[in-house]
Amino acid sequence: MFYEEAVYRPLGDLYLTVEFGDELDLLLNFRVIALDAALKQNAIAGITETIPTNRSLGVVYDPFAISYDSAVASIREIERQTSAISELTSRLFTIPIWYNDPWSRECAEAHGFKNNVEYMAEINDCSVETVIQRHAGTQWWVSAVGFQPATYQALPLDPSFKLSAPKYPRPRKTTPDRIVCQAGKITSFYPVVSPGGYQLLGRTPIDLYDPQQRNPVFKDGPVLPCVGDRHLYQPIDESTYWRIRAECDAGTYRYEILEETYRLQGYLDRLAAVRRDVQAGP
Amino acid sequence: MFRVIEGGPQSMIQDVGRPGYLATGVPPSGAADRFALGIGNLLVGNDPGERYLVGRHPGDAGIEVLLLGLKLEVLKETVVAVTGADLTPTLNGAPLAMWRATRVGPGDIILFQRPRAGARAYLTVAGGVDVPPFAGSRATNLRAVIGGVGGRALRKGDLLGTFPPRRHFQTLEGRRLKPELVPTYGQRWAVRVVLGPQDDLFQADSIATFLNYDWSLSNTSDRMGCRFIGPKLVFKPRPDYLVDQAGSDPSNIVDDTIPVGGIQVPSGLEPIVLHVDGPSLGGYAKIATVISADLRHVGQMRPGEIANFVHVSVDDAVAALRSLESTIVESSIVAG
Repeated sequence: MFYEEAVYRPLGDLYLTVEFGDELDLLLNFRVIALDAALKQNAIAGITETIPTNRSLGVVYDPFAISYDSAVASIREIERQTSAISELTSRLFTIPIWYNDPWSRECAEAHGFKNNVEYMAEINDCSVETVIQRHAGTQWWVSAVGFQPATYQALPLDPSFKLSAPKYPRPRKTTPDRIVCQAGKITSFYPVVSPGGYQLLGRTPIDLYDPQQRNPVFKDGPVLPCVGDRHLYQPIDESTYWRIRAECDAGTYRYEILEETYRLQGYLDRLAAVRRDVQAGP
Repeated sequence: MFRVIEGGPQSMIQDVGRPGYLATGVPPSGAADRFALGIGNLLVGNDPGERYLVGRHPGDAGIEVLLLGLKLEVLKETVVAVTGADLTPTLNGAPLAMWRATRVGPGDIILFQRPRAGARAYLTVAGGVDVPPFAGSRATNLRAVIGGVGGRALRKGDLLGTFPPRRHFQTLEGRRLKPELVPTYGQRWAVRVVLGPQDDLFQADSIATFLNYDWSLSNTSDRMGCRFIGPKLVFKPRPDYLVDQAGSDPSNIVDDTIPVGGIQVPSGLEPIVLHVDGPSLGGYAKIATVISADLRHVGQMRPGEIANFVHVSVDDAVAALRSLESTIVESSIVAG
């Protein structure tokens, strides 16, 4: 559901949230990004951080500098003047993945679950190869970052994307680092060893989080993913995995990052086309 | 300067924390009990730092000791203070007075023997602990492997340097917190909360249960999350599209911001207070948020102790924060 008007709610005494809806939809995320950008351009004294998520913007404020009511009033004023964004600068990352890797297989097995890629093939009624092709066959839009440092959530930019997976019925106690995973239609990532409940798809040899900041790509901070980035996952084999991993350890890996202007109209057109096809039937 | 003889189960360097990185998923970390670390810093002439999460600087770093076991050898004359939980601190085997600045010298042994009240003690030292800051703070975050000593807990053999003291040892020695400000840590804790952001997804009688029950802290609790044992909370029916998009469990929501202090209730079982190392994003309904002034209460609870969640307004929460912060000042300290 898209709310007619954004809903403002307090999160204790240091945060508030501006919520545009309760569902997962890129259009909601675009609104979040637009408000986040507007708040960065029109700084409100007392607001110290903003946290874009799929469908809401978290706002941290200093209650000694601005009251909850004043913060809401100031944000609302900016929100009402903020028009929908039509384009934005978005980085396209190419992320190599060893799909169906031994760590993911072992991790699933250790928690009493079958190979997650095989499970996804089964419930999506396709082959393991198709699971990988589909996952690697669309660009993904980073719609939220959080949970652990550099954990992100990404949505497929292909509106006809067909691959989904339930979360684990009970979360795993642990997951190896650098595992790429999916639940629902969200791709996510475990940058560090963590608990979790998404289906494990594969492991990337590259770091998206590096507290040691060994590679120049980390010059601005230890976390790479950022809301509004796009990802393209590139299937690799075992030997490529190890070659790239060695380059990452040496700090010499060249990340494939393309900074482009992304136009939302293209997505909206594809979405409209898919909806027409659905209505027209087979 | 100190040598760590034993690290204990989890002792680590903390200051007020590392705000500014929530949008990258890096939690603020920092002392689980801001008051205790702040007073500890003041006692030894250090900077207590500014307010949690919204302050501009995190103050000096001390050691947060969980429950017991930290054993240190003093290598150089200095002044220390122990605040927070009573973990039976001793100096060369004799009781070490808490909430008070004490002069120590080479060869002295400081040991935290066993927990008597509260969960986390703070050892502060004149000048503050000298470890390299990461993104503006020395606070340790074990999972992100940043801050403190190599992003990890203290262990045997670590050498901890300190910055030069800001005042002469003679003027620091014997300083103590005004007796009326020394907190008492019991086994029942009032924890004030602001309801929401998803309290409207819970059934009304479950909100009442949440606010009336004696919730017992589970032993699977840490600086990320503190779990509470009690009755199951029940959700209202939800629209079908959320089953598809957020997940099949009635507690699932499309992920949104988790504030520090946010209380998630996965499957309606065991509310979890996300604490200073907690995640900034999550997909479970949050019934309420612990007010920032009371995060320290949750941080001082031991497994089996009782929390009573008390509903307050945002204004009350801000007043409580104002009242707390007004005590973390030099005028709370009396000279020795």
